[in-house]
Amino acid sequence: MISAAAAVPCPACGEPVIPGDNFCEACRAPLPAATATAAPAAAAATEPAAPVPPPAGAVQACPHCPGAAISPDGYCESCGRRVPSARDHAETDLGRLAGVTDRGLRHYRNEDAMAVAAVDTAAGPAWVAVVCDGVSSSDRADEASQAATDAAMAVLVPAARAGEDAAEASARAVQAAQAAVAGLSIAPGGSSDAPSATFVSAVVTSDKVTVCWLGDSRAYWLDSGPEPAARQLTADDSVVAELISAGVLSAAEAAASPQAHVVTGWLGAEISNAPPHQMSFAPAGPGAVLLCSDGLWNYLSDASEIARRAATQPPATPIDTARSLVNFALGAGGEDNITVVVASFPPAEAQPAAKPAPTPAESIVRSPDD
Amino acid sequence: MTELGFAVAVYQNEYLPEGGQEVNAIVTVTSPAEGPPAGHSDSAAESIIIDCSGSMGAPRSKIEQAKLATCAAIDVIRDGVEFAVIAGTDTAWPVYSAGGSLVRADQLTRQQAKQAVAALQPHGGTAIGRWLQLARGMFEQSPAAIRHAILLTDGKNEHQSPADLDAAIAACDGVFSCDCRGVGTDWQVAELRRIATGLLGSVDIVPEPEGLSADFAAMMEKAMGKQVADVMFRVWTPQQAQLMFVKQVSPTLEDLTGRRSQSGPQSGDYPTGAWSGGESRDYHLCVRVGSAEVGQEMLAARVSLVVGSEVAGQGLVRAVWTSDLALSTRINKEVAHYTDQGELAQSIQDGLEARRNGDEDTATAKLGRAVQLAHQSGNDQAASLLAKVVDVLDPATGTVKVKKTVAAVDEMTLDTRSTITVRKK
Repeated sequence: MISAAAAVPCPACGEPVIPGDNFCEACRAPLPAATATAAPAAAAATEPAAPVPPPAGAVQACPHCPGAAISPDGYCESCGRRVPSARDHAETDLGRLAGVTDRGLRHYRNEDAMAVAAVDTAAGPAWVAVVCDGVSSSDRADEASQAATDAAMAVLVPAARAGEDAAEASARAVQAAQAAVAGLSIAPGGSSDAPSATFVSAVVTSDKVTVCWLGDSRAYWLDSGPEPAARQLTADDSVVAELISAGVLSAAEAAASPQAHVVTGWLGAEISNAPPHQMSFAPAGPGAVLLCSDGLWNYLSDASEIARRAATQPPATPIDTARSLVNFALGAGGEDNITVVVASFPPAEAQPAAKPAPTPAESIVRSPDD
Repeated sequence: MTELGFAVAVYQNEYLPEGGQEVNAIVTVTSPAEGPPAGHSDSAAESIIIDCSGSMGAPRSKIEQAKLATCAAIDVIRDGVEFAVIAGTDTAWPVYSAGGSLVRADQLTRQQAKQAVAALQPHGGTAIGRWLQLARGMFEQSPAAIRHAILLTDGKNEHQSPADLDAAIAACDGVFSCDCRGVGTDWQVAELRRIATGLLGSVDIVPEPEGLSADFAAMMEKAMGKQVADVMFRVWTPQQAQLMFVKQVSPTLEDLTGRRSQSGPQSGDYPTGAWSGGESRDYHLCVRVGSAEVGQEMLAARVSLVVGSEVAGQGLVRAVWTSDLALSTRINKEVAHYTDQGELAQSIQDGLEARRNGDEDTATAKLGRAVQLAHQSGNDQAASLLAKVVDVLDPATGTVKVKKTVAAVDEMTLDTRSTITVRKK
């Protein structure tokens, strides 16, 4: 939990709330927009308390049926209305580091999870970010992605604060995430595949970007030069990526392949063949690291398209970039859950916010005709 | 991990226009490929009910082939299954049993049963309800989870009132399932269909007695493959919603709407009988929900497969209100396909009835529509059966001429098999 946010208590129960959240994690009360978007400059030190994920399916009361029970999958047991979940659309805005996750238009729940943290180190601020995508053919995919994200953050944040080697910390973070997902049992009546999730993390320090991944969630480097430019830092663990690299399929054929989303690497009890991958580099100039789930790159498979859409030029802030990309994916059909995290390089304290209040989550247009 | 995982897939257009209320969905249910854990529902009981009325002796081949077919079915019964053979006339008696109780199958008892069957002689009338009642009494003494009968007749239920037959069907409902066969053309399709539908079984015609043995053996093979008994199709619907209908639409059409038993304040159970390993069936649900604002999502139905008290699989039927007409006007292909299959069956039955009543215009219109639907949906069996009743001038438009003379067997075969659907290609 972000310590700077602790200054803003939940108006209902007084527990500290995470900036950008629409609902209190402790009591599930909806948070007013002012609270939810407060403290964008909270790029100060973090106090990584043990992450307390919302239990998957944890939902509020039905606004139409006082006292009615809510099913584990988020529907009112009386009127059948879907009860909004805090995970349907969530934003975290820490100024130069921000993320947006959205259920999309076709899935009934958000099985992506994300977390970002700004960490004070002896060498200045550093960013830590994780995006996980629950494999939707598996059981409890929403819990798997959340558990993996929380476990990874619990390793990466203290390691970053202590200035530990990012590569080594990332390897431990994947192990922790793997253990957390493997620890989830299959729900009664659930599908027969054990809970599983993809993983991508980034640790951004003043001189280095370290990316670690397993599955088909991606990281890109966005150049802040005058011309939009981007390059993909990750290589998917997917049937299609393997076929392309083996020269069996062209990229265009691959995009049309029904197997485009069959991942060959994941976190979970059913061990995949693929080990986690890492890459790190020292950026030559300013830019940003973008992490995303396939809900985005389905529609922007090419790095240059991402660069063109991302528009990292000032005055666009990371939250602006993340929102515009999520909105683009929603407008393109929103077939899958969409998560975008943008971490600017080099990590630095946030500039005073250009706009007093970022767009409230409710204004995100969910209709596909927009 | 659940012990009995039924796979449930839902096909629908979940998008409704503003003010829209009707939600249609096709639900494909597939039973687990492997058998249930030992002791779950392994035990089975079988009864073969043979018409021994006087008409079975004319021609003589009917009773002789029926006896051979019964023996062929007995040969398929596996060791340990409890079974009996019942003969039916205007009364019913156990041809092979242990003092009126089912007998455990082994090499010896199968042999004894076949010897008893060989001695049967046709005489007397037909009161099918009494045959069913005798079978019910025997099944009720059995602890077997899967209880199934094969019933063969060659005639109408002449020596019993329709009300008595209905009462017998109702009494047997839930005790055993029954596959019904009519041999020749002197039986009534509607009557046997009533029994088969009421007792979760199939109905078919065997035009020539020589076809009985293969059919009986196949039915018994299928019965021996059943692994999970008494599976319930449970449907939860929201407050203020109305479940318009629940139909099985594949492999055959069965309207289950009237078979509901309330299982909770907002849920009802529909019986589906016993399932084989890896068996797949499709259901069509129509729910009328209360309207909600654009952008809202509602669970229109939660479908569960229930075995005993255990939920063994579930699927969600959703409603999402949108202002995007491109989404809300989209036709779901599976829903459209089975809507057509339903209309096909109804058109055949209505057309044949009109023909029987001498209403040639209606018969031509209905059977023409049936030809068109069979052609469009790739139901080749229906198309070829229709072609024996009408001269098809243009299948695409459904232009037909009703044949002047139609063999009784062709008309009855078309009628009997009108409810067999095909899956979408």
